[in-house]
Amino acid sequence: MSEEIVKIKGSAAGGLQLTFAPQATFASIYDDIRAKLTDGNGFFLRGTLVQFPREVFSDDERSQLTKLFHKYGLIFRPLESGTASHSGHERHSFASSLLDQETPAATATALPNWMNEAVAAAENAQSEAPAAEPDPAPKATAAEPAARPAPAESAPEPPAVQEMVVVNRTLRGGQEIRTQSSVLVCGNVNPGAQIIAGGSIDIRGTCRGVVHAGAYGDTSAFIVADQLIPTQIRIASLIARSPDAPAGSNEQSAGAERASIKDGQIVIEPIKR
Amino acid sequence: MSEIFVITSGKGGVGKTTTTANLGMGLAMRGKRVVLIDTDTGLRNLDLLLGLENRIMYDLIDVTEGRVPYKKALVRHKKVDSLFLLPTSQVKDKTAVDPEALVKLCNEMREEFDYILIDCPAGIEQGFKTAIAAADVAIVVTMPEISAVRDADKIIGELGRAEKDTIKLIVNRIRPQMVENGDMLGMDDINDILSIDCIGQVPDDEKVVTSTNRGEPCITMSDSLAGQAYRNIVGRLMGENIPFMTFPKPGFFEKLKHVFGH
Ligand SMILES: Nc1ncnc2c1ncn2[C@@H]1O[C@H](COP(=O)(O)OP(=O)(O)OP(=O)(O)O)[C@@H](O)[C@H]1O
Ligand SMILES: [Mg+2]
Repeated sequence: MSEEIVKIKGSAAGGLQLTFAPQATFASIYDDIRAKLTDGNGFFLRGTLVQFPREVFSDDERSQLTKLFHKYGLIFRPLESGTASHSGHERHSFASSLLDQETPAATATALPNWMNEAVAAAENAQSEAPAAEPDPAPKATAAEPAARPAPAESAPEPPAVQEMVVVNRTLRGGQEIRTQSSVLVCGNVNPGAQIIAGGSIDIRGTCRGVVHAGAYGDTSAFIVADQLIPTQIRIASLIARSPDAPAGSNEQSAGAERASIKDGQIVIEPIKR
Repeated sequence: MSEIFVITSGKGGVGKTTTTANLGMGLAMRGKRVVLIDTDTGLRNLDLLLGLENRIMYDLIDVTEGRVPYKKALVRHKKVDSLFLLPTSQVKDKTAVDPEALVKLCNEMREEFDYILIDCPAGIEQGFKTAIAAADVAIVVTMPEISAVRDADKIIGELGRAEKDTIKLIVNRIRPQMVENGDMLGMDDINDILSIDCIGQVPDDEKVVTSTNRGEPCITMSDSLAGQAYRNIVGRLMGENIPFMTFPKPGFFEKLKHVFGH
């Protein structure tokens, strides 16, 4: 495990960041990335921004990798020197850029507050993102990238793609993610943690917290988790809460499940993945 | 190489101070030089658990505000002479010590001690932030109870934000019978949520209370189950590979209690 050629982390810009074993050859890096892309472990969802330190590749190597990523619908881009300054402590800047954007309004449960706040947050984030989509109108951005099945044809150019927030750790009680885009969590969402996303939410782990997908009204947003036993699920303006079992009773869901809106109701159904 | 531990929990009353006193005593009984720092300013009671209240001359605030060198404020334990306490003030509040001052003090102490144990106040406010500032390792104490586990989870998140990445768990006040009956969270339930390395499972034990009243931590009592659990933790902290205690089955447990004179 420690000898991994290519390592993947969440980046400050909300995408993924790659780092490479010091001695790795370009050929071995290329092969490793291709293997990771084809085994579909879920790290690389379409529309994700993938970044890497600029100095590692020649122009030719870079364009080979860019093509490879494009084939899978991903945006591959060197870290700009401005964002590269984060890299010394990217893990923490990542965390603080996403979490605890606490303002007095943060505790209010009224939807409009969430919207205003999250839009403001997303606009800040946007300044680091590509110069595309000048005014991301909440409704229009939706959860499309994550929701779209991923045929392996060539991907749209970067500007057409909505980026996704990736969280590579467990969200613990009191931690919160608010974003206009979709969210991928590689870890658990513990009780007392909260995710509010304009798009869909994919949790590669157990979800016990509060999750709100389609927070700006996108009723096609969905929530997927390996174990879906949240305190509360919200999609668009609908709310479903867990049954009033005694606190801490150990209800187990059988496997991965998906919550979405069907016929004006939140329904949860098992899925394979 | 000295190691600095902070004993913390989020929720109050789960056994931080009890754990600090017992681990400190245990490490010192095994020949280590140990200092315990009470940072629960205004609500100090580590000195009580160690039976040292009447020997206090100076406190942590006197040291961090430069009135006396730390060695002057240390209180040596009556029986175990490599164990020292740095008590805190009962009259000041938690803003009286700032994190940098504590870090500086701990670095000075590293020269003299093998282990520095910091007893943290409950909560996630300034007192917590100060207490964790100097620590190499955080020991999170929780109980098999929903609210305590939730608070532990929150604390683990806070520790992560403060870049304290080495975190160990102790689960205190386990009642095997209740776990067996499904009336109390089991270790699996707790690990499921917290998913950090567990170094101790301490049973609920009346001996903890009687020993507290006598000012002698239960780790010194050979007939205390909690004492045994703390001795195991001490061994693990010293790098030994000790299997977890299997708690006696309820029937057996009752008999055991009987043998121990309850
Ligand atoms: N294993 C145990 N069995 C029985 N009683 C215990 C056990 N551990 C702690 N206690 C009791 O629980 C009470 C609280 O313990 P303690 O003071 O160590 O907790 P604390 O976390 O330091 O509290 P605070 O947050 O107030 O500082 C004490 O009365 C103590 O005797
Ligand atoms: Mg205490």
